[in-house]
Amino acid sequence: MVLNPPIIYLNNAATSWPKPPEVLAAVTQSLTLPVFGSGRTTASQGEDYITLARATLSNFLAAEPQEHVVFTHNATDSLNILIQGFLTGKENGCHVLTTALDHNSVLRPLHEFERQHRIQLTILPFAQCSVNPAAVEAAIRPDTRLMVMTHGSNVLGSVQDIQSIGEILHDHGIYFIVDGAQTAGHIPINLQKLPVDAFVFTGHKALFGIPGTGGFYVRDPELIAPVRFGGTGTDSFSLLHPREMPERFEVGTHNYPGLASLAAGVSFIMSTGLDIITAKADRQTSFLVRELKKEPNITIYNDHPSLPIVSFNINSLENDDVGFMLARAYSIIARTGLHCAPLVHKAIDGGKGCVRLSLSWFTTDEECRIAAKAVREIAADADSSVGSS
Amino acid sequence: MKEFLLDAPVTREFFSYLGNFGQVEALPNVGEGFYTFEKTDWFSIKGFIGDTTLEVRFKKEVMDLTVDFLYFLFSSYREGTMDLSQLKQREQAIGERVRKNLHGYD
Repeated sequence: MVLNPPIIYLNNAATSWPKPPEVLAAVTQSLTLPVFGSGRTTASQGEDYITLARATLSNFLAAEPQEHVVFTHNATDSLNILIQGFLTGKENGCHVLTTALDHNSVLRPLHEFERQHRIQLTILPFAQCSVNPAAVEAAIRPDTRLMVMTHGSNVLGSVQDIQSIGEILHDHGIYFIVDGAQTAGHIPINLQKLPVDAFVFTGHKALFGIPGTGGFYVRDPELIAPVRFGGTGTDSFSLLHPREMPERFEVGTHNYPGLASLAAGVSFIMSTGLDIITAKADRQTSFLVRELKKEPNITIYNDHPSLPIVSFNINSLENDDVGFMLARAYSIIARTGLHCAPLVHKAIDGGKGCVRLSLSWFTTDEECRIAAKAVREIAADADSSVGSS
Repeated sequence: MKEFLLDAPVTREFFSYLGNFGQVEALPNVGEGFYTFEKTDWFSIKGFIGDTTLEVRFKKEVMDLTVDFLYFLFSSYREGTMDLSQLKQREQAIGERVRKNLHGYD
C-alpha cells in the first residue's frame, strides 16, 4: 500500500515507521510456518525466534548472560514488572528516587505505590535538560532502596549520565533501574560496563520491531520477585512457577512475530552500523534545530539534543494547532501535547505541552528540509497574522 | 475529539458566522487558510478553508448538553444574511445549563 498523499513521518520517538524491509519479511516468515516454541509443540521445523531474539539483544546490548534478557510487551510492562518485583517484600515506606524527566511509565507505577503508602517518593528536578548526579547523591537517605530513571528524555532528547549516577547509587547499595526506551537503538549501550541493575528497552521505537515487543535485562534476577505466574512450557508438573531464567519473568505464549521483528530490526541496526545511524541522526537533528532557531517566535527546548528529538513551540500558537497544520497542510506527522511526561512540561512550558519532531534512520535530508520550511512558514505567518477575524 | 465530515467545503464566511458564537482566530496564509473557533466551556473547532472536514473537541463534562447545539449550528448555516435569533435563544438556554453543570450557578 502506498500512502496518497505521501506523508513525512516524524513521530519515531513514539513508534518508528517505516520498518526495514527485513523486519516485514521476518514477520511474514514467522507466520508462514507453525510457531516453534520449545516445550510447547512437537514441531521440529521452523526458526526458534525467541532464542534468536534473545541472542541478538544480548549481543547488541552486551547483556550477559543472555538468559537474563527478558521479553515483555513493551517498556511500560517491563518497568511495572521490575518496580513491583523489586518492592515485593521490602519494608513499607522505604524511600525511592526518580526524576522529573521521567515518563508516566515510571511515574505512575511509583505514584501508585506512594498512594498505597508502600514507598516515600522523591522526584529530582533537572536543569539544562539533565539530572545532576550530585543532586542524586544529596537526595539519598538511609532508607533509600531504589532509583528508577530515564536514560534519554522523550521530550528533550537529552541522554542522562547514568554512569556517574549508577556509581553513586551502588556506593550506597541502592538498586538502579534505567528506562532505555528512547536510547536503545540510538546510542551504544554496553551493559557489561554500565553500573545499572536493570535496563529496560522497547522494541517498537529505534530497534525497529513491531508494537507489542520489549523487555529488560536484569543483572541479578534474585533481587526481583516474579509478579506473574503461569505456563512456561517447562517443569509443568510443578504447581509453583519456575524461578529459573528467563521463565522467572516470561509467562504464557510469546509474541513470535514480534520477536522475529525485533531480532530482524536489531540485526538491521548492527549490519547498518550504529555509528553510521547515530552520525546521520546527529547531522539531521542539528539541521532542524539550526533552521528552527532562525524564527524568533519559535522556542526550542533543547538546542543540543543527543537523540534525534526536536521539541518546540511557536510562541503565539497552541501546540495542538501546530500539529494539526503540519498534518493537514504539509502531510507531516509529528506529536503534540504532553508526551506522557507531565513533569517535564511543567518545568519547560508551564504544562501546556509542545510539538515534537523525532527522526529515524529512514528520515531523509529532503524530509528534514521540508519539515523545517513548513514549521518556519507557520511560525512566520503566526507572527504576523494571529488575531480575531 | 471528533472529526465532522461536511457536505460542502468550509468557507471563510462559515467561520465568520461561527464568530457570532465565540472566538475565531486565523492563519490565512497556511494552506488555504487555517481557522480555529473557541466557545469556552463548550467546544473548539479547527480546520482549513476548502476542506470538507472539521476537527471538533468537546468539553467532556457538558458534551451531552452542547453536541446538539453544534449540529444545529452546522445545519443552520446558509450563505448570505442570516437571522440568528433562534440560535441565540438556544445558545442562551444551553449556556445556563452548562454554567450550572460546570460552575454550580446559572
